[in-house]
Amino acid sequence: MNEFVLALGWFGLYAPVALGAIGSAWGCALGGSAAIGAMLDSDGGYGRFIGASLMPSSQVIYGIVIMFTLQRETMSAEAGAAMFGIGVLAGFALMYTGIRQGEVLASAIHASKAKPEIFGVSLAPAAVLEGFSVFALVFALVLAGSIPT
Amino acid sequence: MSDKFRYITLISSLPYLGKLFSQKSVPVSEFRLRERLKMLDDGHKDLLEKVISVTAWAGVAKLDTDADVVRLAETVIDAVHEYPALQDLVRVRMETRTIIAALRRRQHGDQSAGDIHTWGYGRWRTRISDNWSDPSFGMGHFMPWIAEANGLMRKGDHIAMERLSLTEVFRQLDRQAATHAFDFEAVVIYVLRWTIVQRWSTYNGEAAATRLRKLIDQALKTAPDLPGPPLGATQQEEAPA
Repeated sequence: MNEFVLALGWFGLYAPVALGAIGSAWGCALGGSAAIGAMLDSDGGYGRFIGASLMPSSQVIYGIVIMFTLQRETMSAEAGAAMFGIGVLAGFALMYTGIRQGEVLASAIHASKAKPEIFGVSLAPAAVLEGFSVFALVFALVLAGSIPT
Repeated sequence: MSDKFRYITLISSLPYLGKLFSQKSVPVSEFRLRERLKMLDDGHKDLLEKVISVTAWAGVAKLDTDADVVRLAETVIDAVHEYPALQDLVRVRMETRTIIAALRRRQHGDQSAGDIHTWGYGRWRTRISDNWSDPSFGMGHFMPWIAEANGLMRKGDHIAMERLSLTEVFRQLDRQAATHAFDFEAVVIYVLRWTIVQRWSTYNGEAAATRLRKLIDQALKTAPDLPGPPLGATQQEEAPA
């Protein structure tokens, strides 16, 4: 039983990075597909399309930060259970926000191609989703402080 | 590339068509549109052609009878069974056509709908038949455009009638587009919109050509008779030098 909890602990430790990377990859692919399409139909502004499409890459960075905060010198059963809960849930939050961010970015790129003046405003939904990722990060860090060493 | 990403790229590469009647020409040429549509796989290309064949006027104009059009619509609806939105789109377009055909028949002097099942399609056939004398066929409370179309037809205002019917079709496409952003249905909706914009821009071109011809005729009538050989003869003489 103890070994199983320790395994879960390791699972939870790496989950924010793995799930965050999936979210970032998926989100960037969605945004990047829209950016490539938009470049076919535009004579300029390529940089901002590509720049916007890379916005979901932050999720994997947050995942790395959470992993380092959760890491302990030795894995114990008590710490492992906590790491599993915090790591997995934070990881899923990062993955989901990354994917959804990619979707709204694709829409933003598509819409701002037709109406360039709305480019900034169209990024607002993606920024709100970024805020949710930051919530997941910050509160994972807060809870990580109460895990026994 | 998976379908999801392929459709995002394809839809993003298509220019905004703008509001109906706001463009004097299509923002993307037919050649370029066909080039972009090469991103579709063969199965989807085939389905797109089928939907266009029954919804665009050029497709149904090749058929001899209304019964052929109805048969084609039923075949296409079966073919797109995986896409309920497209089935709905074809059905609604055929129903709109049936209503306009009924208005034309009544305007032409028909005293009843006759065997509407041979020339009409969809949910409203019985209602049209039962309410033949009503200006909106008893559907004015949920389709106010029918009464308007009836009035325009009576006045013989064909351009306004065409505008009204295209507006109605555009509105139907808008309704479906609201729930399809980056998928096959969105591509089909874009192409159908493009067809309407292109059709309207062609009308404008024809009108401009007719007007230009009239102006040239008027100018030639009032032009003074000039001495010397005709202009064409001078050009032929100068060409070999």
